[in-house]
Amino acid sequence: MAKHKDIIYGLYNDEEDLLRAVKQAKADHLEIMDVYTPFPIHGLDPILGLSESRLHIAGFIYGSIGTLTAFLGMSWIFTKDWPQIYGGKPHWPVPAFIPITFELTVLFAAIGMVVTFYVVNGLGPGVVNPTIDLRITDDKFCICFDKSEVDASAVESFLRSSGAAEINSKTI
Amino acid sequence: MSYDITSKTRVTLLGGMAIGILCLALSWFGDDTGMHTRFWSNFLHNSVYFTGIALMACFFMTASITAWAGWYVVFKRVWESMSMFMIVGLVLMGIMALSVYLDWSHLYHWQDLSLINDPSSPEYDPILAGKAGFLNKNFYLFGTFAMIGAWVFIASKIRSLSLAEEKNGADGFNYHYRVRWWAAAFLPIFGFGMAAMVWQWIMSVDAHWYSTLFAWYCGASWFVAMICLTIMILLFLKSQGHFKNVSTEHFHDLGKFLFAISIFWTYLWFSQFMLIWYANVGEETVYFHERMHDYPVLFYGNLIVNFLLPFFVLMRNDTKRKMGSLAFTAGIVFVGHWVDFFLMLKPGILHTAHAMAGHGHGDHGDSHGHGDAAHGAHDAGHGAHGAAEVVLGPAHHGETIFELGYTLPGFLEIGTMVGFLCLFLFFVLNSLSSVSLQSSSDPYIEESVHHHT
Repeated sequence: MAKHKDIIYGLYNDEEDLLRAVKQAKADHLEIMDVYTPFPIHGLDPILGLSESRLHIAGFIYGSIGTLTAFLGMSWIFTKDWPQIYGGKPHWPVPAFIPITFELTVLFAAIGMVVTFYVVNGLGPGVVNPTIDLRITDDKFCICFDKSEVDASAVESFLRSSGAAEINSKTI
Repeated sequence: MSYDITSKTRVTLLGGMAIGILCLALSWFGDDTGMHTRFWSNFLHNSVYFTGIALMACFFMTASITAWAGWYVVFKRVWESMSMFMIVGLVLMGIMALSVYLDWSHLYHWQDLSLINDPSSPEYDPILAGKAGFLNKNFYLFGTFAMIGAWVFIASKIRSLSLAEEKNGADGFNYHYRVRWWAAAFLPIFGFGMAAMVWQWIMSVDAHWYSTLFAWYCGASWFVAMICLTIMILLFLKSQGHFKNVSTEHFHDLGKFLFAISIFWTYLWFSQFMLIWYANVGEETVYFHERMHDYPVLFYGNLIVNFLLPFFVLMRNDTKRKMGSLAFTAGIVFVGHWVDFFLMLKPGILHTAHAMAGHGHGDHGDSHGHGDAAHGAHDAGHGAHGAAEVVLGPAHHGETIFELGYTLPGFLEIGTMVGFLCLFLFFVLNSLSSVSLQSSSDPYIEESVHHHT
């Protein structure tokens, strides 16, 4: 599906080294393709200049749809479609709707956000994602460059000077 | 770096306290009922509110210590000082308990012994008689002094250990382990004690009615108010140039607690409401029926201010990190929970006052509108007229009687609240001014300074 990319990447042993190296790369105007770490690193996002995820806005919209679906749906059923009296309550017993409205809000928001996340990131059953190096899920911290966007020799000298433990090239 | 309360702050707070004393005096002398019910109900309302806020500061601090949390340590002195306000709370609630014991005040229906002493009397109230083992003046006096006393004792232990740690250095983890021991000891005493005292102080103004989650609901209300006050005190001290290390990250977390516990409060409020609404048992429904029909502005406003406002304002990430929106929400929700307590206390107190007025005339029929209101709810409480009448409305339905200071907070109530708030702030700022604001030897201080959400 995706176009093949020639990449060059450095592996670091420590997140402090990685943070320093990312700052250095930004200062040197080297275009970083991506950074891979085994765990979230505080303060990395602002250095990389990543903008805040908009997933929660989608979540709010899905949640609102869930609220309306539950509330309007129940209102229609209990007043127009099949009016019944339960326990001496009126046909439109709003307090009784609230727990279900809440549940459907959460359900719609949760499922909607998961599906959106998978679609946006190209994830899902049967999708194989290229792994740069298996050790980035364990104890290595990786900065990755796309060779078509940067000067490979400049990147290599940068990776070496910033303390990368390993420097590799790969086509993914 | 230490904080000194400035003369301007001192004058402002003392002025606020003077307003409070003036309002209390006016409500004492402007009351013609003889029992000074408006004075005592305002006194109880504010004493309970601010004592509970101090208690919740101690609870959150001890819960954080027990959970090995570190983020709050940079401003832990504020919670230590807030929890020490329980000393003043002991005096205030002690005065209240003495007034109950010596019959200076009559806010609680169960204080009327003529209802429970003689089973053959037509006035005999089997429900109150059944609860008399717990709802009596001896237990009220004993519980108030014993429970607040125990809380104050542990709160001052924790504070003095924390200050000794500051003075003598960390000494390994010696002080920290001792603080942790006291914190763990506090939590069960807090949990059971708070529930029992909430039943005594607040829920028993509606002596026939009870709700098993009332203590949770009331505690959540206190907790939100405590977070609001913490935010405002920290913002004030920052504006004076202190607490440089208290950053947007700490306010973000406080904002999250304000947001989350507001929702928790709503969850409890609604759980209590919906179960009673669904079951529609007259003895239970009368509590909400009365509040919905006689106090509609406060009843629905309570939900708007304490749920919808923090929910929608603080939902976004950035509104918790911007001091304007955070202070705005904290200020309004603080008043909102004060009104929540108003709504817990005043309707029941008004009934008791009317019932007393009825007794005073010697005949229920003579006391016209007021007596009927009390009588209607009184009977509904007994279940004498059955559930049907409660659903249709008690006798006074449609002719709601407006009474300033009960139906709505009047200027005297607001002035009294300002007075108590200034007393609280004065106490907290004063006890902060004698210590170094930021701990230097707490084991968690580095984590807290570098806190990042």
